[in-house]
Amino acid sequence: MKGFFEAGLGIILAVALYTLLGKISASLLFLFNPFSCVVLYFSLMKHDIFGAAMGTVCGLLQDSLSLGLFGVAGLTKTLLGFSTGFISRKINVAPVTRNFVFLLIVSTIELALWKLLALFLFRERFALGGGLVLFQPLTTAFIVALLFQIVRKKRGESS
Amino acid sequence: MPFSLKERRKFALFAGLIFFHLILISLQVPKGNEPTYFKKAFFAVFSPVQHGVVSFFQGVNRLWNNYFYFRQVQRQNQGMRDEIFLLRQENQTLKNTLLKFKGEKEIQELLSTISRSILVCSVIGYDSSDIHKSIVLNRGSRDGVKRDMVVLDRRGRLVGRVIDPVTLKQARVQLVTDKESGVGVLSERQRVVGILTGYAEGKCLMKYVYRTNKEIGEGEEVSTSGFEGIYPSGIPVGKIITITEDATLFKKIVVEPYLDFSELDEVAVFTIDLRELS
Repeated sequence: MKGFFEAGLGIILAVALYTLLGKISASLLFLFNPFSCVVLYFSLMKHDIFGAAMGTVCGLLQDSLSLGLFGVAGLTKTLLGFSTGFISRKINVAPVTRNFVFLLIVSTIELALWKLLALFLFRERFALGGGLVLFQPLTTAFIVALLFQIVRKKRGESS
Repeated sequence: MPFSLKERRKFALFAGLIFFHLILISLQVPKGNEPTYFKKAFFAVFSPVQHGVVSFFQGVNRLWNNYFYFRQVQRQNQGMRDEIFLLRQENQTLKNTLLKFKGEKEIQELLSTISRSILVCSVIGYDSSDIHKSIVLNRGSRDGVKRDMVVLDRRGRLVGRVIDPVTLKQARVQLVTDKESGVGVLSERQRVVGILTGYAEGKCLMKYVYRTNKEIGEGEEVSTSGFEGIYPSGIPVGKIITITEDATLFKKIVVEPYLDFSELDEVAVFTIDLRELS
């Protein structure tokens, strides 16, 4: 029950952060994807199925805030959530550097897959936001890795 | 390495989720741009969160401005007085010009109709796939917002039009920079007609101008023509930045729209059909 509450809170925080970033500067939305951060965080913490479910909800939510086809971000984020959770169960990705590199790889693949699907379905050029979108996996990986390490440390101290 | 029953179940569930998304995507193909009920439901549930966040930060901002920035008020006040003075001059000049064509009573009625039909809205969200596609406003059907209403920025330049979904308190606006949008435009100097659509990185393309047309030039302003039956004529849209030619029948005309995201915190929605006024 606590897990579902945390997930709901995470989703609402992602929407709030997404709105806030847009209000500060619309270009920040190219640089940072709060929905991917939520999916990656819960995939690392609660693994594959929970990650896939979070990917579905966050992806569909992201799709509902867009004019594009409903389900494209849902599909890629479901893949992201499941694969991150599955791999993190098989390989130890807890150490700081390994954690960051792993998150960087999966978020890069997710972004590439999302853009490729959009290209395939809409036949349109990538919106690069002046190159800012290329930094999106880096910022996403950095923020999730930082959050993951902080939570791990806190849990380690309390236990 | 064989997978356990538990893992097989997980893969089955994952495959089910992927299948669900594929079905969801393929169901939309015959519908084109029409949003599904599922999409509308997601929008209706989560757009109030955006509304709440924006209202909260606007409240904090107002509090900050009210209590901590009193020193700036006098300067702001003077700036606004100067602006009002200039706007009054402009307004009077326009009224005098209009008087040549219409009676004073008719003009007063026209101006009062226009001012009553302007709905000032805050932008509470941007499109998650590409910010140049759409925005979300903090007003909806409860405030009289309907599909196809024209949206202008604070300087009266074209932003886009209201599209579905329109909920009670929120509405989505398709921007002129969206690739799926189409606005009938004409060049200001040479009156060359074309269709404006989104291109890339916030730029637009003015389509269907023949290669043989030698009149249109770079730097020329484009405004709405009103031919597509949605936008009234004469609204400024942008400026032509490049004109190139290739093997096709038409010129490739790139337009830099006036739409500026740094000034897009507030927009005006016209709740009446502006074409009826012209």
